Amino acid sequence: MKRLILILLTFAPLIAIAQDDTRNWATRGIRVGEVAVYGNRPMKEIAITETKLDTIALKENIALSMADVLTFNTSIFVKNYGRATLSTVSFRGTSPSHTQVSWNGMKINSPMLGMTDFSMIPSFFVDDASLLHGTSSVNETGGGLGGAVKLATKPADNRGFGLQYIQGVGSFKTFDEFLRLTYGNDHWQVSTRAVYSSSPNDYKYRNHDKKENVYDEDMNIADQYYPVERNRSGAYKDLHILQEVYYNTGKGDRIGLNAWYINSNRELAMLTVDHGDDTDFDNRQREQTFRGVVSWDHLRDGWKIGAKAGYIYTWMAYDYKRDVGNGIMAVMTRSRSRINTIYGQADGEYSIGNKWLFTANVSLHQHIVVSEDKNIVRQDGNKAIVGYRKGRPEVSASVSAKWRPTESIGVSLVVREEMFGKEWTPIIPALFVDGVVSRAGNIVAKASISRNYRFPTLNDLYFLPGGNPDLRSESGWTYDAGLSFAVGREGLYSLSGSATWFESYISDWIIWLPTPKGFFSPDNIKDVHAYGIETKADLDITLAKDWHLGIDGTFSWTPSVNIGEPRTPADKSVGKQLPYVPELSSSVTGLVTWRKWSFLYKWCYYSVRYTMSSNDISLSGKLPPYFMSNISLERVISLRWADISLKGTVNNLFNEEYLSVLSRPMPGINFEVFVGITPKFKTR
Amino acid sequence: MSRLSLYIFVIISLTACMKWEYGLEEEFDTSASGEGLFICNEGNFQYGNATLSYYDPVTKEVQNEVFYRSNAMKLGDVCQSMIIRDGIGWVVVNNSHVVFAIDINTFKEVGRITNLTSPRYIHFISDDKAYITQIWDNRIFIVNPKRYEITGYINIPNMTMESGSTEQMVQYGKYVYVNCWSYQNRILKIDTETDKVVDELVVGIQPTSLVMDCNNKLWTVTDGGYEGSPYGHEAPSLYRIDAETFTIEKQFRFSFGDWPSEVQLNGTKDKIYWLNDDVWEMDVTADMVPVRPFLPYDNTLYYGLTVCPRTGDVYIADAIDYVQQGMVYRYSKDKELLDSFYVGIIPGAFCWK
Repeated sequence: MKRLILILLTFAPLIAIAQDDTRNWATRGIRVGEVAVYGNRPMKEIAITETKLDTIALKENIALSMADVLTFNTSIFVKNYGRATLSTVSFRGTSPSHTQVSWNGMKINSPMLGMTDFSMIPSFFVDDASLLHGTSSVNETGGGLGGAVKLATKPADNRGFGLQYIQGVGSFKTFDEFLRLTYGNDHWQVSTRAVYSSSPNDYKYRNHDKKENVYDEDMNIADQYYPVERNRSGAYKDLHILQEVYYNTGKGDRIGLNAWYINSNRELAMLTVDHGDDTDFDNRQREQTFRGVVSWDHLRDGWKIGAKAGYIYTWMAYDYKRDVGNGIMAVMTRSRSRINTIYGQADGEYSIGNKWLFTANVSLHQHIVVSEDKNIVRQDGNKAIVGYRKGRPEVSASVSAKWRPTESIGVSLVVREEMFGKEWTPIIPALFVDGVVSRAGNIVAKASISRNYRFPTLNDLYFLPGGNPDLRSESGWTYDAGLSFAVGREGLYSLSGSATWFESYISDWIIWLPTPKGFFSPDNIKDVHAYGIETKADLDITLAKDWHLGIDGTFSWTPSVNIGEPRTPADKSVGKQLPYVPELSSSVTGLVTWRKWSFLYKWCYYSVRYTMSSNDISLSGKLPPYFMSNISLERVISLRWADISLKGTVNNLFNEEYLSVLSRPMPGINFEVFVGITPKFKTR
Repeated sequence: MSRLSLYIFVIISLTACMKWEYGLEEEFDTSASGEGLFICNEGNFQYGNATLSYYDPVTKEVQNEVFYRSNAMKLGDVCQSMIIRDGIGWVVVNNSHVVFAIDINTFKEVGRITNLTSPRYIHFISDDKAYITQIWDNRIFIVNPKRYEITGYINIPNMTMESGSTEQMVQYGKYVYVNCWSYQNRILKIDTETDKVVDELVVGIQPTSLVMDCNNKLWTVTDGGYEGSPYGHEAPSLYRIDAETFTIEKQFRFSFGDWPSEVQLNGTKDKIYWLNDDVWEMDVTADMVPVRPFLPYDNTLYYGLTVCPRTGDVYIADAIDYVQQGMVYRYSKDKELLDSFYVGIIPGAFCWK
């Protein structure tokens, strides 16, 4: 046992909770576990910079999307266009399409846009979530110039029948429903989950961007005032259904089926500077998506193989209409897109003793996209559709060798190759090294370096008008180096933390710009130097008998600077922070539990976001820093036949008037209460 | 006490927050200066950061964000165009569905016309009647500028709402001529007494501008569409059209792939200017496009163009990367650079005081 020394104290309490995640926080509580040891650290995690999101974050309440979870639990910047509205991320100062997102192994970034809308992922549908920062993403996929987000479901590990129902009622006539049915035995685990959220979403706000006029009889302005408006045209209805079936032979084979259906109907809220009458306009986006994955894992002593197959179908509709009189809504814009994606993956692992691990992986995504952006009448009088139909196979393959010559040193080499259409990337290499610096404090140092490429999206290449088939892939070098520590005493406290320095150079950054023809077109414009420090710390303490405190915090400093050539002599953007990327971001969550009570405080901070590439602070174009605080209080009542949970949440606790994006007001203080019931079925 | 201080510090740091700010009204008075140039800065679509700049050609002073600074509110989303009539500036803000009326000396708002579909340009027929063209609408809105009211519509024949596009307007006698741009190829002729389209003239694909010279000739330039467009893609052309007979007199063809735009006139209306990478100048009576440009391409993409009606100075807008303050270059008619100044994001249109 002498060789067992270090680490992972951080995750010990989380693992304890994760194994029992069907229960609420108050029942679960915070467990201050024992300090895990260095020698137990998985070979696959050599020098990996990873942020794992715990069950407390993911299962806090049913109204949350992954955008909310990332905002308050990571240092990623979430660009939020409003409540229940498009939410994209900036990971390490990169653009939304530089973050690769997978669900049960299958990439779910839009092949048309490259990005992922995290507001469309209910956090209650995710059992396992982690961020792979920078170079670490190469272990999973290519194209993650900022990093990767891994989302997964997993068996509930229940015996017999289970049921959980939660209903939430909140401000702005918001209703959230969650139902989960489970069945499990030694071999089978079956789960059905459904989430339905709806709201007119018409929150009030004082509009600082415009004034209302009061005219006299001669139509002279007699008075002006800043109106208190409601969020206009922001209603939403989102339905998600997730079906899971897992079969475990008990002899080393596991089979899984995951099927996720989304039906979303969202209005697109009017800007603060919109002087239209919202009853005369209908601006709406609808989406239906099906994602299904079948997986098979075959585990044996020393080796493992697995295969996955999947399918994604997405239908998206955007309609912009206006009343032309008598209630007739005439179509101004009617866009439709259909995406079919077929997915296959095979992977294997082989270990030689405790010192070597070899992995291989190959995945295929075949996308078939039909984009119909606009209906027009041609010169000959016939109707036509402006759009494109394209298919593209995307292949990604990697091999890796991981070597731990001694207990305190680990080396990992990953080599990846990707193909998009007929284009192949150069070899994508990544090298990882870590080592124990001090056994006292379990201090581990790690470093990594990787090359990476991201292919243009299908819209980048083919969108009409403006698509540019001559685009080059974006490419980048990334370096990481960091330290982590973990200390603690079982049952009393645990404290862990890490700090990572990173540096990325990204070339041929693709940007969409207006053209003199009146439409946008992408080009390889920028070279970007993104660098900075990411830190995080986790503390769990047993304060007194039945009193536990858990605090998680992150802080990031992420300059992301344009280092390209000036576009013109007047260009002031060189050497400046990219627009809409904060240099500083931070989040803190604090959870206190006492018996069946729990109290959670969440806080996040983003520094100023420049809206111009020149970083000019203009009157009409700046986004000041903002802090946000949310709290929730939960009480669990354990009855003989069921557990009843009662929870109240307060969002925007200090009723701040703020914007995350220009002209997109965010809601002030708002409330939601949740009632959950988990019947206790008898199990044999 | 030290623990209490720590708690207080933590609470303050967790709750402090910067506000969504109100503007402050500034007082302006530019009446002493006879000349002045308004610059419409489009801003970024959907971000509501359009602005209005004001330049004094005599003092060479520029004031940016004058609408915001004078009115303590934002101009809106995509400032498209501006005209002046009787001391009132009419500023068309496309994606805010509004046309603001402002005092051209103080920049104070005096009224607004709201709930337009997607306004592009405004043209006055009389003191109490104006037309406002639209994109994504097959109607031209008729408004009463005195009462800031929509009073009616001109329905455009053979145009759907979705591909609706009416643009710039010029008037000859009782007729107003309008170019139809996006997925269109026509110049319309509207009788201002009946408010009806009485004739149309087919030109090339997507005519982008419309002006009328000293000889009552209309000038428009097409952009030729784009590669892959189901509407067609062709070499663009510059057209000279006789307003009286409403027929094409002359067609100047450009090379396939050229992107001409922004046809403008000088003060005496005997020269036209346009952008096609370079800045071009031509007599309105010329039979051929000049061989050499007025100002050669200078490693940037010019986005806007105007000519001072009094001095003949040529002003060119450089949008740079479209997400920073654009630059306006001022050249004399002898091609000497006289001044340059930063304005707002994507300077696209000008209006002379």
